[in-house]
Amino acid sequence: MAKHQTSPQSASSQGANSQDANHTLEPFFILHKAQPQATVVEKVSKSRKGRKKGIESSPKSPEKSKRTTSDEQPSNTLYEQWWFKAFNEIWSLIQSSIEGVLRDINLKLFNEVLQWIEDSFSEIKSNVKLSSSEILQPYPLLADTLCRKIPTAFVLTKNAEFVDDIQTFCDLGSHLKANRCHVANMSALDFSLKFGIGGSVRSLLRQLHSEPLDGKIADMLTLAKWYCEEEKNDKPIVVMIDDMECCNADVLGNFITMLSEWVMKIPIFFIMGVATTIEAPKNMLPSDALQHLNPSKLTLGTPSDRMNSLVESVLVEVCYCFSLGHEVSVFLRNYFLRHDGTITSFISALKLACSKHFSLESVSFLGLYMLDQDSEERWSEKFVYLPESMKRCVLNLHSCKSEKNLQGGVGSIVQQLSDLKASQRFWSSVVLCLFEVARYSKMQFLDIFCEATDPKMYCMNGSENSLKKHFRCGDKNSTARSSSGVGSITRVIHTIREMPVAALSNLLDKWNNHTEEMTEINEEVKKLQSVLASVDEGKVYEENLHNIRNRKSVSVISGKRNSANEKVAMLLDAMIRKYMKPLECMTLHEIICFRDVDVLQSGLIGDPRKTIQLDLLKCHSYLSCSCFSSDAKNLSPSMHDTSIMYKLAQEFGDVINLYEWYQSFKTVLTSSSQTSRKRGRPSPASKKAKPLPPSETEALIQARFCGAVTELQISGLLRMPTKRRPDFIQRIAFGL
Amino acid sequence: MAPKRKKVEVEEEEARAQVEVEEEDEEEEELAFSRNYFLAKEVGSASGKRSAARKVSEINLVDEQLLRASLSELPTKHEKEIGSLLESYKGLYSNWLFELRCGFGLLMYGFGSKKAFLEDFASSTLTSYTVVVINGYLASVNLKQVMTTIAEILWEHYKCKAKISTGKKQQTQLPNGLKSVDDIVTFIVDISDDCNCSVCLLIHNIDGPALRDPDSQQHLARVSCCSCICLVASIDHVNAPLLWDKKMAYTQFKWSWHHVPTFVPYKVEGLFNPLILFSSGHVQTTKTALVVLQSLTPNAQSVFRVLAEFQLANEKEEGMHVSELYTKCREQFLVSSQVTLNAHLTEFKDHKLVKMRRHSDGQDCLHIPLPTNALEKLLQELV
Repeated sequence: MAKHQTSPQSASSQGANSQDANHTLEPFFILHKAQPQATVVEKVSKSRKGRKKGIESSPKSPEKSKRTTSDEQPSNTLYEQWWFKAFNEIWSLIQSSIEGVLRDINLKLFNEVLQWIEDSFSEIKSNVKLSSSEILQPYPLLADTLCRKIPTAFVLTKNAEFVDDIQTFCDLGSHLKANRCHVANMSALDFSLKFGIGGSVRSLLRQLHSEPLDGKIADMLTLAKWYCEEEKNDKPIVVMIDDMECCNADVLGNFITMLSEWVMKIPIFFIMGVATTIEAPKNMLPSDALQHLNPSKLTLGTPSDRMNSLVESVLVEVCYCFSLGHEVSVFLRNYFLRHDGTITSFISALKLACSKHFSLESVSFLGLYMLDQDSEERWSEKFVYLPESMKRCVLNLHSCKSEKNLQGGVGSIVQQLSDLKASQRFWSSVVLCLFEVARYSKMQFLDIFCEATDPKMYCMNGSENSLKKHFRCGDKNSTARSSSGVGSITRVIHTIREMPVAALSNLLDKWNNHTEEMTEINEEVKKLQSVLASVDEGKVYEENLHNIRNRKSVSVISGKRNSANEKVAMLLDAMIRKYMKPLECMTLHEIICFRDVDVLQSGLIGDPRKTIQLDLLKCHSYLSCSCFSSDAKNLSPSMHDTSIMYKLAQEFGDVINLYEWYQSFKTVLTSSSQTSRKRGRPSPASKKAKPLPPSETEALIQARFCGAVTELQISGLLRMPTKRRPDFIQRIAFGL
Repeated sequence: MAPKRKKVEVEEEEARAQVEVEEEDEEEEELAFSRNYFLAKEVGSASGKRSAARKVSEINLVDEQLLRASLSELPTKHEKEIGSLLESYKGLYSNWLFELRCGFGLLMYGFGSKKAFLEDFASSTLTSYTVVVINGYLASVNLKQVMTTIAEILWEHYKCKAKISTGKKQQTQLPNGLKSVDDIVTFIVDISDDCNCSVCLLIHNIDGPALRDPDSQQHLARVSCCSCICLVASIDHVNAPLLWDKKMAYTQFKWSWHHVPTFVPYKVEGLFNPLILFSSGHVQTTKTALVVLQSLTPNAQSVFRVLAEFQLANEKEEGMHVSELYTKCREQFLVSSQVTLNAHLTEFKDHKLVKMRRHSDGQDCLHIPLPTNALEKLLQELV
């Protein structure tokens, strides 16, 4: 075993890694314990609690910076701390924004649920009044069967993937808990056949009891006793099951029937998430369980509504400290629309993008000061203490290379950063204005966002002529473009041209708020508001005229209205041209902009099926050895054994004849060694095989063959021979 | 004592690996039916040509011991290049640590054993974590034991913290009532928020034989959500992502994928996989048959010999009639009654040394499912 462990390459490459050979056969072992001091640092940085926004928690501290200045070559760990703190600050801001948005979206539903519970609870309380002794009686009360129905809310999640709704149900639970309810948040795992109804009741009790159930029997009597405790019996118990359709129908049915026996004594409410239709519970649950439910129906918002809100609050409103490049935006849009359509995957992709940005971009920590009111001062302070190497990093950013002004020094860099911040604020204001129109016409915000981040589009908009040309282009191909996300802004402008007066007026009110920082535009908006007010007055007149079918007057009024629409459209056009400068067109954008779509894609979607095959087929690209240089396509004996075997396997069909495979392998190993002998340049394999007697050479080849087959089997690319076909091996993967 | 225990464990592993192969055989049979039409045709044509196809037995196989010895001493090709490839990954260690601290789980994939270099990463970079390594490639991994160890580590820190805050001495043992893995996992989840420590679970082959069942994955997913536990795992199987649903992948494990092909041989991971050239066909069967026969009584061995000699002498026959065997055995005073013979035959059938066949004349006959040369070899070695 020791031989396996300390194989030559592991010994050479892993050198200092002194692992015990015995550990390879231990199912598990402790490699090392944490170093005490480091643990504390780690814990502090890992903890999400107590994170403060602002100056105190910013990465720079004079002491640290002084140390770096004196050292001139500050350790990477210091930078890592800066990056990590910047990530923590910014991601916590984004996360709280996400949580806030999702909570707000669901608040209406949450209040609906709460109202429903309160109404039903007060009704039950008014009908049945029981003492503690009556509640604790182990037999059911004789009463009207109608009262034995459990009030149940089926929440239609409108989402085949329930992963998004897990958080919604958690939030609902917290909301109900905060509003005088006992809540148990259960899932399909609690209603499995393996643990049966006992598991369900245990899970219910575990969630309701704040203390562990040490030694207590998990039954309804325990629940009743708990409920009779002081200050508990004046609240309803809400049992939430987020993915009802994934539960075992029999276990859930029995659970419902059992609770219904106690529902008069303990007021229990069910909230069940249903992914498909309202018919699903009827189809799934046994009829005797179903008759104990008193159903009501509630509906959650769709994923696309949630996505719109997320884009608005996360990608646009918080964009000045971390933002996405155009390619990354398009990738994320496609990932959402084509991959799985869940908000959860989108958020995890965003988080990964954020972490990759801070870990890969060395000057990304400067983005943190975008959050501060006095950013300029903060940057100036920071640059004084920043080591020269880091300053050079800033100047070497791709967007700085063409910028001659920056060579002026710290002042010019700080000025550029301020410009960047201001530009992002303007950009986000214009995009928010676009979103207001998109909300009216029910367009996807993500499409507009992608277009708004496109630097090419901005270059195109540069001259007035080309802008008109672009819009005209948009007219012709609007349908085709909208499907690919391009042309959304054009569609927004068209929407404005066709908006009724009331909607236009509302739109301008919203724009008024969004454009506060752009005084020039804000004044224009106000002017247009007053113009519209006059049109609005005329609208009553217009309607009267319409009633008496006076077409001539209508056309006059509508003409006036159209001119107002045109003016609003022109204003938006002007806003876009002047203020919607995509981040990637700005100097120093690399500090806050994540653009590396390949890194994100590979971190997010591992495709082992394709990649492992490619590893084997193109091993020369990883192991850049001289023996591959002549002709990578031909098989040479010095190639990796498994790679040779897998390439040979490509020539077989669904099944591989072991004998033929072995012979081909042997031919590759031996024939080429002869060739190399002729050339007088033996390959590494032949060099070792040459002095061996034939039997040992044969053993070596057979050993290599067996080893390679085992490796392919571990990779899941082969199935071992069956008894029926002992001489054939089955291929699993076909094509990449 | 310890080496002996290790030997027993190794034997158990081998036995398990053998069982797995047999299970896979059954699966494969089912798979053959589920293939689409064209593939099915291809399989059909391949099996049609089977008689003409070359057999593994035609390879001039060397002795298994010699082959195993060669395998263990096999020089690695491109050692230098592999070394520099692994060296290049060292530059990424700090980025990986960063991602771990950001709350992601690291999932390493790509061809080649990642065991040594992941442990190198853990030893050199994860110094602030207590690192628990799980060798998922072993079928003997017991998740309950692993979880208990993690619970003990956390409990140790939890106790220290409670002692500092309350000034009271806490119990040293884990609380009672932690009987199932589920209970232990729940315990870990409950106390993790109050633990002042960081534990890193390094799982080699999270898609390994003992961990690929849904329950184990659920337990690992729940544990990976804990604030003080982070996960670094490797996969080797191309279909490993099918182990996780979206909830597990995005909200629990929170994988950040890293493609790190190493091309290092899977020496430890493949230790218990049977060698392809010896796993099927007559070689293996001769050996196993010999082991079984040697454990039987001399009389039973002789009965088997009678049957084997008949089969060798009458290669074209479908098998030997039971009555004929009884007569011959009785003549040689090997059995005294039909009952005794039946007892021997049951033993043979249980160990698949003998198979019952319906003869063309309608009577049942006995047949040893071994090729002639294997049978000859067996008889020679049985002496």
